Amino acid sequence: MKQGSAGKPKRGVVELTTFYVGDGLCGMDILCVQEINKHMEMTKVPQAPECVMGILNLRGQIVTVVDLCKRLGLPPTENNSGGRNIIVNSEGEHIGLHVQRISDVVQADWGAVEAPPANIGGVQGKYFEGVYKTEKSLIGILNVAEVLRDEGQ
Amino acid sequence: MTIENDETLRMYMEESQEHLADIENDLLAMEQGGAAIDEDLVNKVFRAAHSIKGGAGFMGLNNIKALSHKMENVLGMIRSREMVPNPEVVNILLLASDALRNLIANAVQSNDIDVSEHIDALVRCAEGTLPAEDTQGTSQKVDIALPNGEVVFSPAEHEIRRARQEGKFVYLAEFDLMHDVHEKGKTPLDVLRELEKTGFIIEAKMNMADVGTLEEHTIPDRLPFMVLYATLLDPTVVNTLFKIDGQHVFEIGEDLKVRAVEEAVPADSTATEPVGQDEPTEAVVDEDAALQALDDVVRESVSQKPSVPDEKMGKALGEPEEALFSVHDTQQALQAPAMGSRAKTDVKMNEPVTKSPDMETSLRVHVSLLDALMNLAGELVLVRNQLLRAIESEDARTVQLGGQRLDLITSEIQEAIMLTRMQPIGNVFNKFQRVVRDLARSLAKQVTLIIDGSEVELDKTIIEAISDPLTHLVRNAADHGIETPEDRIKAGKKPTGIIHLRAFHEAGQVNIEISDDGRGIDGNRLAEAAVSKGLITEDQVRMMSDKEKVHLIFLPGFSTAERITDVSGRGVGMDVVKTNLDKLGGDVDIDSEPGKGAKVRIKLPLTLAIIPSQIVTLGKDRYAIPQVNMDELLRIPAAQIQERIEKVGDAEVVRLRGRLLPLLKLSEILGIESLFVDPGDGRRKADRRKNIADRRSFEKAVETENSKSEAQRPGGMSEGHLSGEALEKDVRGSKEPTTEIPGQAMHPGDRRTRSERRYHAESAVNIVVVSAGPLKYGLVVDNLHDSEEIVVKPLGRHLKHCKGYAGATIMGDGRVALILDVANLVQMAGLTSLENTERAAEVEKEAAAAVKARRDMQSLLVFRGAEDEQFAVTLSQVERIEKIKAADVEQIGGKRIIKYRGGSLPLFSIDQVAQVKPLADKDDLLVIVFIVGGREIGLLAIGPVDATDVSVEIDDTTLKQPGIMGSAIVRDHTTQFIDIYSMVETLNPGWFKNKPAVETAHGSFPTLLIVEDSNFFRNQVKSFVEDAGYDVLDAQDGVVAWNILDERGDEITLVVTDIEMPNMNGFELTKKIRADERFKAMPVIALTTLAGDANVARGKEVGIDDYQTKLDREKLLESIQVHSKGR
Repeated sequence: MKQGSAGKPKRGVVELTTFYVGDGLCGMDILCVQEINKHMEMTKVPQAPECVMGILNLRGQIVTVVDLCKRLGLPPTENNSGGRNIIVNSEGEHIGLHVQRISDVVQADWGAVEAPPANIGGVQGKYFEGVYKTEKSLIGILNVAEVLRDEGQ
Repeated sequence: MTIENDETLRMYMEESQEHLADIENDLLAMEQGGAAIDEDLVNKVFRAAHSIKGGAGFMGLNNIKALSHKMENVLGMIRSREMVPNPEVVNILLLASDALRNLIANAVQSNDIDVSEHIDALVRCAEGTLPAEDTQGTSQKVDIALPNGEVVFSPAEHEIRRARQEGKFVYLAEFDLMHDVHEKGKTPLDVLRELEKTGFIIEAKMNMADVGTLEEHTIPDRLPFMVLYATLLDPTVVNTLFKIDGQHVFEIGEDLKVRAVEEAVPADSTATEPVGQDEPTEAVVDEDAALQALDDVVRESVSQKPSVPDEKMGKALGEPEEALFSVHDTQQALQAPAMGSRAKTDVKMNEPVTKSPDMETSLRVHVSLLDALMNLAGELVLVRNQLLRAIESEDARTVQLGGQRLDLITSEIQEAIMLTRMQPIGNVFNKFQRVVRDLARSLAKQVTLIIDGSEVELDKTIIEAISDPLTHLVRNAADHGIETPEDRIKAGKKPTGIIHLRAFHEAGQVNIEISDDGRGIDGNRLAEAAVSKGLITEDQVRMMSDKEKVHLIFLPGFSTAERITDVSGRGVGMDVVKTNLDKLGGDVDIDSEPGKGAKVRIKLPLTLAIIPSQIVTLGKDRYAIPQVNMDELLRIPAAQIQERIEKVGDAEVVRLRGRLLPLLKLSEILGIESLFVDPGDGRRKADRRKNIADRRSFEKAVETENSKSEAQRPGGMSEGHLSGEALEKDVRGSKEPTTEIPGQAMHPGDRRTRSERRYHAESAVNIVVVSAGPLKYGLVVDNLHDSEEIVVKPLGRHLKHCKGYAGATIMGDGRVALILDVANLVQMAGLTSLENTERAAEVEKEAAAAVKARRDMQSLLVFRGAEDEQFAVTLSQVERIEKIKAADVEQIGGKRIIKYRGGSLPLFSIDQVAQVKPLADKDDLLVIVFIVGGREIGLLAIGPVDATDVSVEIDDTTLKQPGIMGSAIVRDHTTQFIDIYSMVETLNPGWFKNKPAVETAHGSFPTLLIVEDSNFFRNQVKSFVEDAGYDVLDAQDGVVAWNILDERGDEITLVVTDIEMPNMNGFELTKKIRADERFKAMPVIALTTLAGDANVARGKEVGIDDYQTKLDREKLLESIQVHSKGR
């Protein structure tokens, strides 16, 4: 990912794709997102890490789909009809992030983004680049690189 | 270097490397040839070195130029036979060519690399053979200066002299890069190449420093490019080659002075008319004539050999007719204008270019292939248009047609693209000549490398990737495999070892074999070493087969201390070889015979991108198993599960041709639920059996199962009425023993009850037999599907810890299937080989017994009575078979006879005695003639008649009746075995009046011991021997017989024994009998089914008194009588 870890302060306005992970609203830079698609037929991968939902065929490419909920250590949600895969390009490969629901695109000013607390709604702070407050809600801006880091190493 | 851009340099590098590749092999060939110099070959090498030098000079690669120049000197001396290419000389040349390769690979930095060592060696080599005055010439430089006095070149004097001695003219041509090269759409390299075709370039350069001075008397902006050139073309025609302004061509005369060609022509030329070089128009007019002259010269020079490139050289140089595709030219042309201006501003030649050109990114492809691809691409566009239109107009038929065309074109494109990537494996193989030669030299061994199948083509990526593993294997073979000549002679081998490198296609794969006739690999030593290194335990070693021990060499971290030499033990072990090959989807196997040699076999896919795979399902998902790893598919019918699948320790195994194959359940390894289709309701249900041989639970309606299985029961043996009974037993859950050993004879009835279990076809076990290195195992899956060609796609990084998968692929329906990695699945399951376990040994024994039992064959004559009723008699009883006409049979006195050889032959048919269908009413009949009671009798029969060897279990209960001994399935037909004696006895009781008189020395009935493993034969023999009045004891095998003998030996007069029996066969029994003091003299009659067997000799050896065929009762009784007499 282009953004490094939360060391360097960022400037200007960023457009955030927002979505629900469990009940929490999260966001990521819209420029990281390659596409968003519906829950497609996935092939389960036995013996895969728990957070991997499966793999799917995205126009001839094999995409690993990660359940963001499980990845962040949240309890899995049952009803998943509105589920979407956010396809991001990370370290040269395509990875799908499965989220419960896609929300709006929000314009955020980096200046107004606050550093993440140690824990946001039960999720470790390291997975976030920051927190952005809108009038109605709080958006946790995901650190995609950290989220997709392979912890098996 | 700034004047040359990367493209030009890269082309030069590529070409030079091709030259070098040729040089190496040619040098080796020269070495082989020794003093008998093949001029063509030397010329070829010479010119290759020369081309490298030419280009190097032009590009300012001084080191390369210097080195190749010295090589050329030495080669020139070899060519002129001043020097013999002995191994020392060739060695120096080889080392120099290595250094040259290194320089060229790092062309940009080459001027900073020290090559003085090689240059010195070459100079010493040259000086060592040169006569004194020539030696001087070698180093003596001569300055070639332009008429204005400017020194352009300083070549060695002898070079120019030599050229002149060969009848060549030496020219100094001054090209102008702007006018003579770029404006004609050429590159300087093109010019050099053109020149190389008709002569040879002594030196070439572009001296920017001179630009300033030249400007004074030539046109402004002139960029001189000087070439010192030797050719057979005389000054009158030479400019048709140069195609430059005549005033810039100079000839070097005898005095090494430069003269303008225009002046030289009238002076030197006597025969040809002077051509007015001043007027360009005339020159054009005369071009035809000049070309003709040029042709002549070329032809002449061809016959004279020197300086004309052979075909291969031409190819390397990129002759137009070879039509090699290259994008460089166009790019070069595009960049040309920029070059000139850059050159002017920056005149320093030696400034290194920072970026080194990438050598791996370009590929030479034949233009015809590209044309084909272009055509296909065109086709593709057409199909797209057609399809788009058809879809718009919803014309289903056209869509379908379009789909078909698309299919065709896609596969053609795929093939063509693959072809562009294919390269002959010879590219890799050829370098091994050198490797082996050098190695043999340094190890003082004699090794010959034989290469077969260089033309086999493989994907470029694979070719590149196998180079290192193969090198390692070849080095290993030469270093460790082949012994020193002394050792070889001691071992009774020829002093020269042979390494055989062979590539061939087999089953869609490329096989590479590296075999040597050296000392082989000692598995036990490997095992010891592995244990001492703590890689494996002693227990593991005990479990290992020889082959597995040899395979230990692939263990990571394995390298026996004594095996490390500076040659092959460079920290890269065989494990690296294996890992590399595994990565390619290849398979490596070693066969070794200590003392005889070793053979490493590598199987590689033709290409990495697309592999044929077997598709299987497990649970809801499909998986692909690469066919490289697959040996066979095995489907164990429900009825045989109990029999063929058993447990050894915790592992389940299946019997496969007498060996135990460990089974792995894919569902267990992957931790998913296996599914099966419930025949009751057609739904998929989870299969909860713990052991494959276990029953599925019986929750479903028994009735459904019953009816279903009735319908599905396979035909063959006649069906009994046992189904209900067996089912009931199952429902009650009565435990059957899970293992059965078919090798032990069971009563047929008993066997049927057990084997005809109520299983569904759905319950069959599907097994994919795969090989993972030395280990072969069966992977149990839910279902087997087709094999498909799949495109391998890598898995994402989150899944790389899942060792069980080699990747994923996309199936026809767009879904993803995982590709299984069978080697890693074994590791996941922690499976070790079963070989050498106790159970395996047991099974192998059984298998051996089964093979023996199979050898206990019956030679039968099969025929028919009615059209659909098959009978058999033992072939040994048959005297002969006659063909007769039904009309010839006469009925006399209630008996049928036929006139035969002046006598009459009594005939009968089976239906006279037994309850069988009447003899078919046919015109042509067969008569099978037997001799019973000393007389001939004919059995009427019809064809087809056939003699066959079968191994069958004869059922002596079901169909037994008078005249019929029993039945068996022969060639898929229930066949009744005729008891010819009882038939004749029924028909003609009088014939058997002279029954064997029973008498023993002490007047009582003799007791016989009959030893026979087959119930049927034992009972048969027993009954007719008892009928004859003897007392009979019987035994199933040699061991039982021996026990009886041991206990009641004094009662027994004679032993009749079968040969092939389990536990102890007839030979062993006889030996034992003969070895025992008590029974030394006891007669032993052996029974065999195959009379006249080679066994007879062996039987006599161990002390068998007589041989009789099993069902020839008369002869047996006679023999018994003879042998029991007087005891």
